Amino acid sequence: MSNLSFPRPRQSEVGERLRAEVREFLDDFDWRGDPQAASVFGGYDPEFSEALGARGWIGMGFPQRYGGGGYGLVERYVVMEELLAARAPITAHSVADRQSGQLLLRFGSESQREEILPHIAAGKSYFCIGMSEPDSGSDLASVRTRATKVDGGWLVNGAKIWTTNAHRSHYMILLCRTSPASQERHAGLSQFLVDMKTPGIVCRQIENIAGGQEFNEVHLQDAFLPDEALIGVEGDGWKQVTSELAFERSGPERFLSHLSVLEEFVRVLKSQPSAVGARALGRLVAHLTTLRRMSRSVATMIADGQDAALHAALVKDLGTCFEQEIPEILRLALQAEPDPNASDAYRAALAHVVLNAPSSTIRGGTKEVLRGIVAKGLGLR
Amino acid sequence: MDDETREMLHETATSIFAEGPPDLWEVLQSVGIDKALVPESKGGVGVSWAIACELLGIAGKHAAPVPMAEAMIGHWLLDIAGVEGAKLPTIAFSPPLEPVRLSRSGNEWHVDGALVRVPWGSSCTHVAFMSEGPAAQLIVVARDSSGVSIKAGQNLAGEPRDDMTLESVAPLAVVPVPFESNSLLAISAVMRSALMAGAIERALELTVDYANMRVQFGRPIGKFQAVQQNIAVLATQAAAARAATEAGSEAIDDWILGVEESLMRSVAVASAKIRTGEAAGEAAAISHQVFGAIGFTEEHELHRFTKRLWSWRDEYGSEAVWADVLGESILCNESEKTLWRTLAPTRSSLDIGATR
Ligand SMILES: Cc1cc2nc3c(=O)[nH]c(=O)nc-3n(C[C@H](O)[C@H](O)[C@H](O)COP(=O)(O)OP(=O)(O)OC[C@H]3O[C@@H](n4cnc5c(N)ncnc54)[C@H](O)[C@@H]3O)c2cc1C
Repeated sequence: MSNLSFPRPRQSEVGERLRAEVREFLDDFDWRGDPQAASVFGGYDPEFSEALGARGWIGMGFPQRYGGGGYGLVERYVVMEELLAARAPITAHSVADRQSGQLLLRFGSESQREEILPHIAAGKSYFCIGMSEPDSGSDLASVRTRATKVDGGWLVNGAKIWTTNAHRSHYMILLCRTSPASQERHAGLSQFLVDMKTPGIVCRQIENIAGGQEFNEVHLQDAFLPDEALIGVEGDGWKQVTSELAFERSGPERFLSHLSVLEEFVRVLKSQPSAVGARALGRLVAHLTTLRRMSRSVATMIADGQDAALHAALVKDLGTCFEQEIPEILRLALQAEPDPNASDAYRAALAHVVLNAPSSTIRGGTKEVLRGIVAKGLGLR
Repeated sequence: MDDETREMLHETATSIFAEGPPDLWEVLQSVGIDKALVPESKGGVGVSWAIACELLGIAGKHAAPVPMAEAMIGHWLLDIAGVEGAKLPTIAFSPPLEPVRLSRSGNEWHVDGALVRVPWGSSCTHVAFMSEGPAAQLIVVARDSSGVSIKAGQNLAGEPRDDMTLESVAPLAVVPVPFESNSLLAISAVMRSALMAGAIERALELTVDYANMRVQFGRPIGKFQAVQQNIAVLATQAAAARAATEAGSEAIDDWILGVEESLMRSVAVASAKIRTGEAAGEAAAISHQVFGAIGFTEEHELHRFTKRLWSWRDEYGSEAVWADVLGESILCNESEKTLWRTLAPTRSSLDIGATR
């Protein structure tokens, strides 16, 4: 059970200097694109991504020869929190920065790294996650999309779903079967680096309940991938995807994506004092600060090369349940009807949070799945 | 204090608590745990508040029936007050709207009023408390002074919480202190959080062990997913309580170093009591649920932890009290700063060096 202790998070002097720099950059940035998107969840803005890349703030933690700026993952964490807190439009590059680049760094071939990582770091190469399928959600090992060996490469057939931003990504990291399912459920899976322009790949956007259009259904029909597209070792896909998920689950986006509504709540309370509101705020802030510390300690573990999969699952569960609770607490503390089109920023932010709340405990592993991981870590399974 | 000394103290405390001798408190005193916060030059150990809270976590893990938090803070205060030779100092507070009255005739101070639910009030030798008002004074009274009367009481876990009445008592010391009077409340709240974090961790251990052992429907109940999911939540609460407590204790160290201005306005201090108190309630509920009826018996040890949790979460301010403090302090901030920038201030490299 001692494996569930969290180390004290490390403060980095470089990181704290960066914090000030990022704030200055954000304060000065000429925000473009969809102001609504930027004000709520962070929009998709390649221009912004490239500006960040130019500052060396994408692919932090990559070695310098792959375009990294010589920073570590603790510094990356500081930059991420600042971008999320400012609701900066980071959607375009965020998957590449958070997990795909790290995956290639760990398991990719030298030529994959040389070719792709510098573009990720420049904020010019965007990725999507090809894990879920229509019949495989929580039970990810049951994926049926198949790559069949042919001369010089692989032919892929199957379908992925819920693939966020597939329609505007350059690459997908695809998880699929390279040998038939057997008794050993986790065997026979592999990961590929897929150029989204490959013939045979078709994306269809799916609208979500909040009106967002990020979801996609991706069909792959006889899509040819060259041998060089294989990531890591054939058959090692499960091990690799597990390490990718630790990156997916550990970041500050798991508890900071609803910060905008808290900011608006504070703004309202400053002009409309309320004892109930102050108490609700105090409690939410206590949760937020504690989550932040736990999340920083996971970042410290990852930066030190420790296995943080269990810790990341625990913090993600806590963080996403907290996020989901935010609108429930706010609506009882301050009477205001949520309305995405309201001119009042608080009511608009509340509406976005109410509508998006269900997704936080589903994406990146449902809370039930995460609690299963924690239970296993406790020796119960 | 170096890492090695710290390790040693940690190990010593762990083994003493694990052994649990009948004269536990005397043994702890003999290794200087009670004076852990007093500087080495004054016969103490000179540990940081962060380490003191780690030690309290161990005490909480064992539901140790000893006045450790009170004595640690008490000795620290008595050292400030210049009172020497105390065997068991405790700390106390007057009721919110009835502060003690301090009066002076000639060179003689007198103190009148009530101190409520004083931990180990009957068995202490000295009690330290603060007067209210802008120029806070630290007051130390000897337990056996004339004019001190005591009505014994206890909390849910049977820990002494005694009401003290002071009638024209001559204090041993009245000294002005360079901090707000309610800093003592903030410190006490963090120390309670540390005890709670330890007790929650123990409740988790007991619960996991029991779930692996108790068989129903032909398998250990820990194999049932519903049970697993609840215990996972308990583990999550334990981790959050620990993290919140560590942050709170580090904030006291920062305050001592002058980095943090006010303990009552410290986000980390209030968060420690709020978050840990909330975790305490949830942890107690889940562990009792997993234990079924056996956990509801006087004979079973679970209640030693849960009763302490139910008491400690209300001592020195419940979650609601501290949520009010924290919420108000954020809202009274006049500046245009966003919530985020209030919570994550940019720190100078000097501050970072100071906080390890
Ligand atoms: C906003 C959003 C973005 C996403 N982006 C991507 C993406 O970019 N790429 C991608 O690959 N996927 C993406 N996903 C998909 C996501 O990973 C899956 O939704 C998730 O893994 C759950 O799968 P499912 O939706 O099929 O639910 P299911 O697995 O069918 O689960 C339904 C319910 O049953 C429960 N359940 C299932 N199995 C168990 C079990 N063994 N024990 C207890 N309960 C169980 C689940 O917890 C859940 O409550 C995204 C999802 C969302 C909501």
